[in-house]
Amino acid sequence: MLEMKNVNFDYGNGVPILKEVNLIIGEGEFIGLGGRNGCGKTTVTRLLMGLEKPVQGDILKDGKSIIKQDASVRSRFIGYVFQRPERQMFRPTVAQEIAYGPQQLGMTKRETEEAVAEAMEATGLQKLADAYPPNLNRGEKQRVAIASALAMHTQYLILDEPTSGQDSAEKTKLMRLLTKLNDAGLTILLITHDMDILAQYCKRVIVMGHQTKYFDGTPQKLFTECDELVDLGLTRPQSVTLSMAVAGMKYCKSMAEFQDEMVKRLRGNA
Amino acid sequence: MMIKNMVPVTKLIATFAFSFWALVMHTTIPLIILVVAELLILTVCGNLQRNSKAVGSLAVFAVFLGIVQLLGGGSVESAYVTGLRMMAMTVVFIILLTTTRLQDLTAAMVTQIKVPYEYAFMFTAALRFVPDFIAESKAVQEAQACRGLSVKGNVFKRMINYMSVIQPLMLKSLSRSETMALSLELRGFGSQQRHSFMSNVQPNVMDYALIGGMILISAVVIYLRIHGIV
Repeated sequence: MLEMKNVNFDYGNGVPILKEVNLIIGEGEFIGLGGRNGCGKTTVTRLLMGLEKPVQGDILKDGKSIIKQDASVRSRFIGYVFQRPERQMFRPTVAQEIAYGPQQLGMTKRETEEAVAEAMEATGLQKLADAYPPNLNRGEKQRVAIASALAMHTQYLILDEPTSGQDSAEKTKLMRLLTKLNDAGLTILLITHDMDILAQYCKRVIVMGHQTKYFDGTPQKLFTECDELVDLGLTRPQSVTLSMAVAGMKYCKSMAEFQDEMVKRLRGNA
Repeated sequence: MMIKNMVPVTKLIATFAFSFWALVMHTTIPLIILVVAELLILTVCGNLQRNSKAVGSLAVFAVFLGIVQLLGGGSVESAYVTGLRMMAMTVVFIILLTTTRLQDLTAAMVTQIKVPYEYAFMFTAALRFVPDFIAESKAVQEAQACRGLSVKGNVFKRMINYMSVIQPLMLKSLSRSETMALSLELRGFGSQQRHSFMSNVQPNVMDYALIGGMILISAVVIYLRIHGIV
């Protein structure tokens, strides 16, 4: 379990970015982190990863403070996938790129090979094992970055807007991969501006607003009960809007679910 | 405020004048006065705090140069002079770059010093690239730290570890240069003989007075140097 306790943060100029942030990330969760641009979403993840230090407050893992551990130490249990994963790629093949993390952890050659093979299998990268990382498309680079974290046997995976700039097919592929990894026990914290992703894939949503955690609950509660969606820089997904517009219809988290419900209704009436 | 209101060509001349004085002076006290004067100017411009790291790094490098001078058989005085001279010649560039917009500098180089636009642009583009390169370097270091890269350890270990930062940084920089070249070409870079500028960089009376003052100080410094005073 990761925990942020009364965390305050600014960039040294006295302008508060985060005030009294308290949040708990339990094991096996699939959390979406949303909010307006500049609301502090990335700062929250950078604080969790150890790339920034809180001005006040504490960050704990399983009840123990990890505030003094820097990112290289926290990388043993937190994997971080940047918005631009090419920033981390420097080795000539995908397999060698993924092997970098395990080697940094001091794994033996055999352990590294096993970790790389498992990570490539989990992310569907076997066919690209010998490819040159900078030549991959954006979706593939994201998967290499995820595999790099998995090869380090990470418990938590943080992704900063992994689907931005990707087409629908790549987006679906990536989200299915993350769902599969979550089902296998990996905890996922995902920053996104995509309301469909928040509604369809996340089990819990945290929304940052007014320099703190403004909402924490299920996507259904967020999209059906929260009156301040627009103020928080969010919109209701079409599937939710449509399902709310049809009398007596249950909450639909995706258009596919809405279509199924409508087909069921039409068949029922026929 | 007066320094910020000076046109770029005056600041360029001032930069070369300070560097010239630093080269001519060969005793410690005048060089200390020169460095202190530059630091005061930086403070008055409100840029000292923002550039304290850069000034600190230059001071460390000045000490290093002084030690090299001593180890190479130089006197203590020559070690001080070497370090201070380096400081005087570099801090003045920080003043120039922190008080002048790069597009104004380009305009001044082209319209007043008559440097061909392509060369002036190359110079200012290279300067603009430095903060971007530093920011990108930080981002790559952070990305690698998230994969277990530690910057701790002895110098050799650090150097080996730093390879994982340099390679993606180089790739990114090359790709960035390529994008920039394409972007410039698409906007007609080099297709016109004349290039117009929006900035007004014409010197005014105060600028001419300052340039005159600097010529006078230069003459005094040369005179004092000939007589072994500075």
